[in-house]
Amino acid sequence: MTELAPISSRRRRSDVVMRGLLGVATIVALVPLVLVIYWLLHEGLSAWSKDFFTTDPNGNFLGYPGGIRSAILGTIEIVALATLISVPIGIGVALYLTEYGKDSKFANVVRYFVDVMTGVPSIVFGLFIYIVLVLARTGGSTFAAWKGSIALALLMLPIVVRSSEVVLLLVPGSLREAALALGAPRWRVVTRVVLPTSLSGLVTGALLAVARGAGETAPLLFTVAFAQGLTGNLNQSMNSLPIQIYNDIQSPRAEVVTRAWGAALTLVVMILLLNLIARAASRRSRLG
Amino acid sequence: MGRRSTRDYGAHLMKEKILRKRQITATAVAIGAALVVAACGSSNSSSSSSAPAPGGSSSSSSSSSGGSGTISGAGSTFAAPIYMQWGSTLKGQGLTVNYNAVGSGAGVAQLQSATVDFAGSDPAMKPDEVKAAKGPVAQFPIGFGAITVSYNLSGVKSGIKLDGKTLGDIFLGKVKKWNDPEITALNPGLSLPSTAITVVHRSDSSGTTKAFTTFLSAYNPAWTAAAGMPDKIVKWPVGTGAKGNSGVAAAIKQTAGGIGYVEQAYALQNGFTYASVKNSSGKFIAPTLAAASAAAEGIKVPPDLTISTINSPNPAAYPITSQTFVITYKDMCKAGIAQGAASGVKKFLDYGLSSAGQGVEKQLFYASLPASLLSKAQAQLKTLTCNGSPLQ
Amino acid sequence: MDASVSTVQGGRSVLERSPLHRLPDRVLQWGLSALAAGVLVLIGYFFIRLIGQSSTAFGHIGFFNFFVRNNWDVSQLQDGAACTTASNAGCTFGAWALLLGTVITSAIALIIGVPVAIATALFVTELCPRRFRGPLALLVDLLAAVPSVVYGLWGVFVLIPHLKPFQQFLADTFSFLPFVGGTVAGPSYFIAGLILAIMILPIVSAISREVISTVPSEHKEAALALGATRWEMIRIAVLPYSRAGITGGAMLGLGRAIGETIAVVLVIGNSPKLGEQIFSQGYTLSAVIANEFGEAASTPVYRSALFAAGLVLFVLTLLVNIIARRYVVRATGGKRMAADVVVPEAPAGAAA
Repeated sequence: MTELAPISSRRRRSDVVMRGLLGVATIVALVPLVLVIYWLLHEGLSAWSKDFFTTDPNGNFLGYPGGIRSAILGTIEIVALATLISVPIGIGVALYLTEYGKDSKFANVVRYFVDVMTGVPSIVFGLFIYIVLVLARTGGSTFAAWKGSIALALLMLPIVVRSSEVVLLLVPGSLREAALALGAPRWRVVTRVVLPTSLSGLVTGALLAVARGAGETAPLLFTVAFAQGLTGNLNQSMNSLPIQIYNDIQSPRAEVVTRAWGAALTLVVMILLLNLIARAASRRSRLG
Repeated sequence: MGRRSTRDYGAHLMKEKILRKRQITATAVAIGAALVVAACGSSNSSSSSSAPAPGGSSSSSSSSSGGSGTISGAGSTFAAPIYMQWGSTLKGQGLTVNYNAVGSGAGVAQLQSATVDFAGSDPAMKPDEVKAAKGPVAQFPIGFGAITVSYNLSGVKSGIKLDGKTLGDIFLGKVKKWNDPEITALNPGLSLPSTAITVVHRSDSSGTTKAFTTFLSAYNPAWTAAAGMPDKIVKWPVGTGAKGNSGVAAAIKQTAGGIGYVEQAYALQNGFTYASVKNSSGKFIAPTLAAASAAAEGIKVPPDLTISTINSPNPAAYPITSQTFVITYKDMCKAGIAQGAASGVKKFLDYGLSSAGQGVEKQLFYASLPASLLSKAQAQLKTLTCNGSPLQ
Repeated sequence: MDASVSTVQGGRSVLERSPLHRLPDRVLQWGLSALAAGVLVLIGYFFIRLIGQSSTAFGHIGFFNFFVRNNWDVSQLQDGAACTTASNAGCTFGAWALLLGTVITSAIALIIGVPVAIATALFVTELCPRRFRGPLALLVDLLAAVPSVVYGLWGVFVLIPHLKPFQQFLADTFSFLPFVGGTVAGPSYFIAGLILAIMILPIVSAISREVISTVPSEHKEAALALGATRWEMIRIAVLPYSRAGITGGAMLGLGRAIGETIAVVLVIGNSPKLGEQIFSQGYTLSAVIANEFGEAASTPVYRSALFAAGLVLFVLTLLVNIIARRYVVRATGGKRMAADVVVPEAPAGAAA
């Protein structure tokens, strides 16, 4: 066996340098994450108290500015409705793509636009709904929570479709064939075999979409606007965490800015929890 | 028969091949969690919609409210502290006031489309603005406030002397440092740092801006040439834009060397330092309650009460003092506002123009209306109607 | 699959169901197709409405002028007055400064964000020990889970004050370069670009990772077998192979940067005048829409101008996404990618 020529020191050096640079860049990429989390905990935890979660913002010029109860519940209301809209439609479209459309021309067009939709800025969805529902005063209201839900649903829809389609395709073809061969009609195959089999994966996709929708500010700005108090009336303006934070950032009062940090920490914790649950669910589905 | 066997086989397949029991549980938990989230939202919505907003303000920022106990307003951030305070008193009397401090311009816009029951605006609505509304409007002056020129300059106290010319040059970007000769010439004996000046101005359509630029225009022709006629929005040559009086206050607070214009209540709320400004009689006046009150004396009062207190001729007056109005429709019902809300607006103004309401203004360092103007405003309030008949 | 379909549907079999029994099947098939079509129709409808609403502004200033005039000056607006091409009298909504603001901030985001994102992707896929790959990729993806308003909050209260001296240092040191220099106020194109860089990092990185992982191991092994160092292997085998895909990923990041609103509006400084250098305050299309739609609501032409700005954003991002998709699809052999990092563990990843 002949000896290989050793790598020249110049090449070795450039290898070490470049590998080092790539490593450093990776650390640099993680610095913002660490800093954001550090500041959220540093500034946000001090805002957390019982009152913070049990009172509504009161708009008082002086004194205690109130907590974020209405913002948390408002976000839950708006996002829950958006989920109820986007998840069934999204799974429906995905079912069309996997069970019926397959590689047909129309199915590919749908796929294409769903993909492109993910790149549409959220502010544009807000403008769409502003034009179609807010300016038109649909439902007798201008700004209303349900309109915000629709804007968020538009945003969440492509995420649901894409993730659902991937999961539905994972259902083994042999399973469908077996059921069909036994004489089951297609709709029964879909509802009794395909959907139950892919359920955990579908839940993952839905949760990720929820996590994405919960943090969006721009669509709500144009559709829901802001209200201080707690309300269950979806045909009214409503408070929400992102809008509350957005407003509080622009305040000169230290107490209000602290509330913004506390609300931001709350929002991030909610979103991370959703992500973790989704991750756990997707792990499970991979075991199957 | 065929059906059953399918189901059985399907179930068998699932058990055998794909779904282990463990996994079903996991899925059920996840779905359960999702449902709980959804249920929280919906149960909350049903419970609170049946009981109208327990102890809280079910505020709708811009939908015109039908309920008798709720009125909505929008506009001036300059006067927002007053409306908030009035609102919290009136809540005890069963009237909920939802005031959205979005700037005078947006407030007037929302009144024009009758999406709010009243607008807060610092300048009176101009005739062409009234024309774009859904009917004739009544404009109620409710008080005055000094627009402070606040700055964030460590080691320097309140009372830097500035005049309209210099302020104009600062906001034009001509004067760039705090120790510029133009500033030091007005402040002999005061040592100023060489910190760079950062101008902060409003980014939204603002009555405070109109008042402030009216003052600048009066003393600095170059300002008018560069930024245009005084208005709620002007063409700012330099600076950082911020939303609302509170946004400007926040930006001043965050910017070393920053200078901006905010209503006095905001300056006091944040412990700002502010300038003494040269008035039309050549005196440097600090923004105080007395100096703002003085601005309201000796001004012309037209029959529709659309006064302006900028550059008041009174020698004791602080020159950048702005009036502020509550504006609503003379006949709200004809403009599409519910009768209950119309009565609510009347009640709101009744309180605001009472001695109690005017007293609140003083606590917040706004100047209240002089007696003669107050009685005229009260008289105008009696002329508000609903579909032709007077409001109670 | 197809065989099974034909077994059930094809031919006249004794097993064939009666038309009544086939009804649910038809309903489901047509219902789902209609749903898919409905989504497309809805998007088309929105698009048409947006164009319709924008036409007032384009009529006011002229379609071309909207892009090239630099006078977003609402105070000049006189109701009913047409915009004469000779002067700016009675005429406003020239969005040049806003358009340029969007371009400048996006460009800064790409210049800072893309190299870091690619380096991260290379490190994760090629260099770091296998057991750290998952967690490291997850951490980078987590950047996408932070809502934009939180980045805005952090930008306003942490980044701007802490980076002011740094910005001033850059402005002073590199003042010989064009568009660098002057006095730093705090909020600036640069800060907005920096935050955007952080926000696009996870997308560009995730797609680059995906693309790099499709490089055939034969290529890499061949390079190593020929005596290449790790870095040389990356340079010779990995980068050329994945160039198109990474380009596509960067473009998806660009689309994201163009449309981002809330984080930008909080740190850009909201100055309608075109900033003289990258450390001065500016404005972007999205920021103007977010800031001004409140007062624009009752002035049709003003409102329409904001919709026109929204339309420009929509069309720009659409184009960028369409082009980006071409690159990515080509690079990954038909694998579908889009501008969402589905965080943290994409089901798409689960499928792989």
